[in-house]
Amino acid sequence: MSTLTSCPPYELQRLARAKNVLDRVRHFAELPDEVRAAIAGAAIPRHFEAGQVIYLEGEPATALYILESGWVKATRMSPEGREQAMLFLKSGEIFGDVAVFTDTSYPGTVVALEPVNVWVIQKSAILELVARYPELAQAVIRRLGERVLYYVGLVEDLSLRSVEARLANTLLKHAEMSGGRLAVPRRAWTTFDEMATRLGTVRDVLSRALRTLDDEGLLRVERHEIVILDPHGLAARGNL
Amino acid sequence: MSQNSMEHSVDERLRAAVLQAFEADGQIAPLNLRVGVLNGIAHLAGCAPSTDVWAAAGQVAASIPGVRGVVNRIAAPGAPSPARTVNLNLENK
Repeated sequence: MSTLTSCPPYELQRLARAKNVLDRVRHFAELPDEVRAAIAGAAIPRHFEAGQVIYLEGEPATALYILESGWVKATRMSPEGREQAMLFLKSGEIFGDVAVFTDTSYPGTVVALEPVNVWVIQKSAILELVARYPELAQAVIRRLGERVLYYVGLVEDLSLRSVEARLANTLLKHAEMSGGRLAVPRRAWTTFDEMATRLGTVRDVLSRALRTLDDEGLLRVERHEIVILDPHGLAARGNL
Repeated sequence: MSQNSMEHSVDERLRAAVLQAFEADGQIAPLNLRVGVLNGIAHLAGCAPSTDVWAAAGQVAASIPGVRGVVNRIAAPGAPSPARTVNLNLENK
């Protein structure tokens, strides 16, 4: 009690903000208050401008990050020199955790696509918290398990599906209802190069795939969005 | 030692060599640039005051024996965006 009352107001605000972010993190929101308070106490807020590198692949993993706001992308360069998108992350996601818990360097590069706010937890602090709170260790295991399943899906997608099928699935996953039609909004950073990287291909092949799906009447590419004209047809294309 | 851990150790040595070369360069050392190396490819980040220094850092990293390619994500006035998609031509490297 005396500790709390002696905390300066800005510190209480910081803790409240950190706890609010943890409420949005899958598997962390259900943790007991004591554990969430301990995590919040170890977290340090940081801001990155759009385009700033948060960490580089091959850098020693010194911390994990909880994304409070904004979008980031994680990419990895293949040994042949081609960039592959691994993840696009939004508010409430954690990144850097795989490298921290496996005691390796970061496996990918993470860049801010918009101005982003993150909470940084140093590796030593999170390892200590995991050792102290079994509930946190279980939450971490669940998160890492989900990440493994995600990568199994990504490998399956890249190795077994055509570019058109990957494109169809990605578009359906990101489509939103707007003005009575189903469309994928083109955010400022969603360029053709970005989409190609995400699909594990190059710009020319992506353009051809979009033209093919357009010619088949499944979608229409507009300046600011890609309109889905036939969701069922596109879903069928995604299974090929 | 597994192949992965051997590659990891080679990458760590290359990273140390790039950082050492940066430290030895009068115009690059004060910038405290960040370096990661994976699969022999050096990744750079940080801030440089000009495209000349930006390019110089890339060249210094590329000159380290064993570095197969450089992804230069250093921010500098007039330099390409650090967030851009980068594909390298690593044929015969």
